[in-house]
Amino acid sequence: MFFEILVFGAVSSAVYAMLAVGFTLIFGVARILNLSHGAFYGLGAYCAYVLTNTAHWPLLPAAIFSVLFVAAFGAAVERWLVRPLRASALAVLMITLAVALLFEQAMLLIFGSEARNVPAFVTDTWTYAGLNISGQKLLTLASGIAVLGLLYLFIQKTRFGSAILAISQDPEAAQYMGIPANRMYSVVMGLSAAIAATAGVLTAPFLTVQPTMDLLPMVKAFAIVIVGGLGSIPGSILAALLLGYTETIVAYSPWQSWSETVSLIAVLLTLILRPAGLLGKRAAF
Amino acid sequence: MLRLLSSCAAAALALIGSATLAVAEEKPIVIGADSPIQLQVGRDTVDALQLAIDEINGKGGVLGRKLQLAVEDETMDPQQGVAAIKKLTADEHVDVLIGGYNSGVTLAQEPHIADAKTIYLGIGSASPSITDFVGKNYKRFKYMFRVNPINAVRQADQLTGFVTGKVKGDLGFNTIAIIGENAKWVQDLTPVLKEGVEKGGVKVAVLELFDPDMSDFSPLLAKVKESGAQYLVVILSHANSDVFVKQWYDAKFPLPIGGIDVKSQDPDFFQRIGGKSISETVSLGILAEPLTPKTMPFWNAFVERYKRPPVYTAPGAYDALYLYAEAVERAKTTDPEMVIPELEKTKYQGTQGTYVFDEHHDVLPGPGLINLLYVQWQPDGKRVIVWPKELANGKMILPPWSNQHAEATK
Repeated sequence: MFFEILVFGAVSSAVYAMLAVGFTLIFGVARILNLSHGAFYGLGAYCAYVLTNTAHWPLLPAAIFSVLFVAAFGAAVERWLVRPLRASALAVLMITLAVALLFEQAMLLIFGSEARNVPAFVTDTWTYAGLNISGQKLLTLASGIAVLGLLYLFIQKTRFGSAILAISQDPEAAQYMGIPANRMYSVVMGLSAAIAATAGVLTAPFLTVQPTMDLLPMVKAFAIVIVGGLGSIPGSILAALLLGYTETIVAYSPWQSWSETVSLIAVLLTLILRPAGLLGKRAAF
Repeated sequence: MLRLLSSCAAAALALIGSATLAVAEEKPIVIGADSPIQLQVGRDTVDALQLAIDEINGKGGVLGRKLQLAVEDETMDPQQGVAAIKKLTADEHVDVLIGGYNSGVTLAQEPHIADAKTIYLGIGSASPSITDFVGKNYKRFKYMFRVNPINAVRQADQLTGFVTGKVKGDLGFNTIAIIGENAKWVQDLTPVLKEGVEKGGVKVAVLELFDPDMSDFSPLLAKVKESGAQYLVVILSHANSDVFVKQWYDAKFPLPIGGIDVKSQDPDFFQRIGGKSISETVSLGILAEPLTPKTMPFWNAFVERYKRPPVYTAPGAYDALYLYAEAVERAKTTDPEMVIPELEKTKYQGTQGTYVFDEHHDVLPGPGLINLLYVQWQPDGKRVIVWPKELANGKMILPPWSNQHAEATK
């Protein structure tokens, strides 16, 4: 039981972390509360489904193309829909919500409401200490860690990353230094969408690919960034680990059906006890 | 002159009158399809009805009147379901309603169907509560009939037969686990199933109902594994059984699975989840086997026209329309008050077997009537009937990773 919780908790945490860092990144940099983040996750999965099942592409090119496509889509959403409305946080909230609803309806009309299958990268099952774990879940865990590591290196070690950090700290000063803020926002939105799409492509083989698949990841990502502190990437990773493991422990307990309420209770407690979140500098609300 | 004029007027009136009568006689009989058309079960309902309508119209219609289809999407939402019924009865003035899938939606629609005094032939929902209303208040709810599927409690009886006869009798497994989605029809079914199998000498180690939206089944499977059960009975319809079966396969779960899994009834289920349903055994009403003289002609016509095999609602809808047409022919009218007594006398051999209704207007299962087949997914997506014994056309296999894999039994 302990080993199962350890492994499956880690897999959940990795998926949650991939969802949450993108969400918190775009908020931290551009102050965009992006409610279409779950749609990016879903679009990645559907794109992989179309390319593998309809166009019969091999899985790896299909996955890479899906992630790039969603990244471009994310950047386009920022450029054409969010940027004109960025002066009003409420308008941004509404337009990104509209993108999420449009995604759901479009998928429903094109593919129907049935679950769709995306093939797994790894079809083998690994057995250790009596526990059988699908290779795809282990790959998701490893990829999650790799994506987060690469993101850290990208932000800390590259000029581009320094520019992102500069804008997140003081957008005006960064602009005076010659950093093109608008272009950076598009890039960060694309990056955030790409990470969400990666999570979508990796989890699609063992989770669901359905038109409403965007909602739960969106809620989870939102909950995690509130608990971790909006805009804080280390906070999101910490909160993803906390929620991933707590949910798994509850799911293995006799109170299994309460596992989905864990994130909501965590949000309530955070907002009451520490509105800034675990590692947030100030309350976002 | 006045007499001439008045006789001309009378003749004209008579002409208009007869013309009106002729128009009235030629008015089509409108078949209302209320179905969740975003789902395959819904699309197959509509397509099977259109197939039957075209066949009947090709032979001259019913009482010399053509049949015409009106479709409304009832979705999986009770409110939308009620709106669909209101639209079909109040706006389209349908003569009969054929459809349904989600028992919760059908139960919400029921008072509105009764108020509209329109015959309803259910072909998708399984909760026995739907037809219980006919017994409780016949005068108000006599319009409700269930043609398909066999109701949940009777499905439980048939599933009990599979568990005690095949799982215990042939495979020798004495302990089972039961998991199902937390939905009305499963709440109706599981107590009957548990009682039935325990009477048959099978121990139920664990019985869990889970949220139909659940997507990670690892903890549930862990609980089943720890219970000491040897066979896992699943009861799934609206839940995401694609995900469930994939996770069962990926975990090389030590227990074989079988039971009621509506999505696994889809002919493309094996292929769409990458062959991971291998050895899953599920109940089916129809298969490409000559169950009756009408099975293969229907199956072939459906496949030829729609380029896909039908799911369970299709034979139900197709047979429902034919048995309604026969009842109307016998009653010589579409007046529900006259057609209902004729429907009650139904003994119609359709594509799945012979349809007879009980006093609650619910289709009766049994030898010579409608029966569930237990069909197993085998290598290359082949489907083999493994139960009932007299209809079995192959041997049951265990999961490929099972120690006792290969041939388990006859």
